Amino acid sequence: MFRYIIRRILQMIPTVFGVIVITFILFNIVGGSPAAMTLGKNISPKALEEFDEQRGFNKPLLIGRWSATRAYEDTTFTRNAGPWRQVEGVTYTASQRREPGHITLAPGKDYVLPLAFKLKPQATYQWVLKYRLLTGTASFKALHSCQPDNVKGAKPALAAVGSIERQTRLLTTNSAWQTIKIPFTTGVTPTTLKMTVHTEGGALEICALKLRKQNANWFDTQFAFYLSQIARFDFGKSNFTNQRVSQMLKDGIGPSLCLTVPIFLIELVVAVSIALLCAFFRNTFVDRLIVVIAVVLMSVNYLVWIIFGQYMLGYRWGWFPLWGFESWTFLLLPVLIGVVSGLGENVRFYRTIMLDEMYRDYVRTAFAKGVSRPGVLFKHVLKNGMIPILTNVVIAIPFLYTGSLLLESFFGIPGLGNMGINAVNYSDVDVIRAIVLIGSILYVIANLMTDLCYALFDPRVRLN
Amino acid sequence: MNHSITPSSLSGHSLWGDAWRQLRRDRIAVASFWIIVVYLAMALYGEGVFWYFHCKDMAPPYQQANLREEYLAPSVFRHPFAIASAADSGGVGAVIANRDNKLAKKSGLVIRLGIGLRTLAHHPLGTDNLGRDVFQRTVQGARIAFQVGIITACIAIPIGVILGCLAGYFGGKTDDFIVWLYSTFSSIPGLLFILAIAMVVGKGLLGVYLGIGLTTWVNLCRLIRGEVMKHKTRPYVQAAHALGLGDFRIMFRHILPNVFHIVIITFSLRFPAAISTEVFMSFLGIGVQGEPSWGIMISNARLRLWQGVWWEMTFVTAAIFFIVLAFNLLGDALRDALDPRLRTSER
Repeated sequence: MFRYIIRRILQMIPTVFGVIVITFILFNIVGGSPAAMTLGKNISPKALEEFDEQRGFNKPLLIGRWSATRAYEDTTFTRNAGPWRQVEGVTYTASQRREPGHITLAPGKDYVLPLAFKLKPQATYQWVLKYRLLTGTASFKALHSCQPDNVKGAKPALAAVGSIERQTRLLTTNSAWQTIKIPFTTGVTPTTLKMTVHTEGGALEICALKLRKQNANWFDTQFAFYLSQIARFDFGKSNFTNQRVSQMLKDGIGPSLCLTVPIFLIELVVAVSIALLCAFFRNTFVDRLIVVIAVVLMSVNYLVWIIFGQYMLGYRWGWFPLWGFESWTFLLLPVLIGVVSGLGENVRFYRTIMLDEMYRDYVRTAFAKGVSRPGVLFKHVLKNGMIPILTNVVIAIPFLYTGSLLLESFFGIPGLGNMGINAVNYSDVDVIRAIVLIGSILYVIANLMTDLCYALFDPRVRLN
Repeated sequence: MNHSITPSSLSGHSLWGDAWRQLRRDRIAVASFWIIVVYLAMALYGEGVFWYFHCKDMAPPYQQANLREEYLAPSVFRHPFAIASAADSGGVGAVIANRDNKLAKKSGLVIRLGIGLRTLAHHPLGTDNLGRDVFQRTVQGARIAFQVGIITACIAIPIGVILGCLAGYFGGKTDDFIVWLYSTFSSIPGLLFILAIAMVVGKGLLGVYLGIGLTTWVNLCRLIRGEVMKHKTRPYVQAAHALGLGDFRIMFRHILPNVFHIVIITFSLRFPAAISTEVFMSFLGIGVQGEPSWGIMISNARLRLWQGVWWEMTFVTAAIFFIVLAFNLLGDALRDALDPRLRTSER
């Protein structure tokens, strides 16, 4: 038994890891940075950068040295010149058939690179430039002053100098675009950095620009950030309510359980009783009628149960309070609706279990030796049927935690379901991720509990 | 009773033949089938209307707001000429009603009957808060529902079938990996997972398709894997091995047809679930955008219900109810006919 438990716990680990990987893929890789989605469109790049910084979204995904930065708003010139529009001497060429959109810097001038915000002090950046130079020379300089800009007489210090060699060949084709990577370091606080490109003799054409920030090490990545968050039980901060997600989960779980636990227990008792009734009246009119009613109940949409229930029972007839979470009376209507809406499916499920048992040999034996019908049902069938019922019960536990999304939002119960709905509506990624992750881990644990229960109650399982 | 085996009794005794015959005898299954056919026809009609107006670049009738006819009750609940009195007070259906009313005053029974019928056909299920026809919008809802059901099946079935076959057939490391994959997917709470996928992909139908499609393959995969594992040791598979056929040929040409009934059953039981999920997502506003769907209609009608505008809510509810019921019943019948071991009800 002990070895069985250990083995099952070990089997749990890959699944938990899988859940972590899937949530990571979903929210970090597919979703990308949700900054723009959550904050809205007209928001400064600096705010977006801070959002990313806080959640680790600017880091490389799995492994890598460089983080993205939003200091350049447009890194490719497919649509327009972006922040280069205002710079004098810069002409923009839209993308043509084989030619990417690019900007052309007229020769004989210094160009200050239009950064959206100041770069971080004492960090190493990398400037990646995809360029084409037909004739002449161009050079790149990054100057930073150790004092603020407005102090006069501050002598800019040379931070890094990269130079682009004059091209010897006359470059006309597409393949002649070249890439150069120029690393440089920013100075101590407060830093104003001035990066300039100087061209001489010929126009410099640029079709892509990137600025990358160097990370502490190769594994300073989103995935590591995510794992460390999970290890610290820190699920980030809600962007909507500005609370810590862990605090929100703590606040929300109480009301959710107040709603889901009664639903679950009442439903279990009622559905098992009706299923036993079906088994008792097997193959008679009552049984058929119950099955038909169950299918009909199952087919009514969940939304409709809630809307009509709230409208008729709460509003038209005024039997129950409509909205809020003040005393236990507010829970009556949602619990009732929750029980009724799930009843059809559960009755069918438990009925199948009961009828499966009814055809077993031990039932026939019991009948043959003269045990009464109720005796067979309650003593023999119910006991043996408990194993699958137990499975169903334990598996349902994680869903108690996630609450009922719709019931909570319709009846104004401040639980996790309500929180989830709000988070979906406001694209609150951290909240959704936390709920999904915890729900899944609870499910895995519940699965483990089921197997252990099986092993406890059914010796046949242990032997395999 | 004639127990001799004649060629006619031998022929057509395949699994599918038997199932077909059993289904034909099942009156509930036949009725469900016809209900589904009616819905399918509605969906196809809706698709036609959509593309017709899409190609002509016009606003389709189900999107045209007509504020003079807002909150028009279903036609059977309107007095045939009541519309005219409403028109006098500057209300609904003014032009048609006035003309009809003048005609009705001085005409015989036949014309009156004709006008009555025309009034019946005028917004038969009433209009919503913008004067849009509830019937047309419900039809469009059927169109979206079928789209969702079919496309999510097209995503989920190939994933489930291929992974299930590979896991069941090859076993070993492949099996371990696929079992790990589906146990991971199945441990994520379903509805939240769907919502999360839809949120990440963005609002709209694509999110609905991917959300439902990428989560519902799990159950199918598990069933197929179990079945393929059983079939792997059957004599016909051994015979195919002995003939030197390739693994993939045995898997997909020999074993798959024998386990394909599981796909049919799963599909018919998943379809109503997909419809309900789409309704739920559209209701929340992360589903269909800018087109009428049942979820959006419910969300619109919900607030009007409190003002006594019951028809939009009722007809949408009925529309969802009957299609889901039909699929549930047909799914059960299919399961009983095709796979006696999976049956839920005794007959």
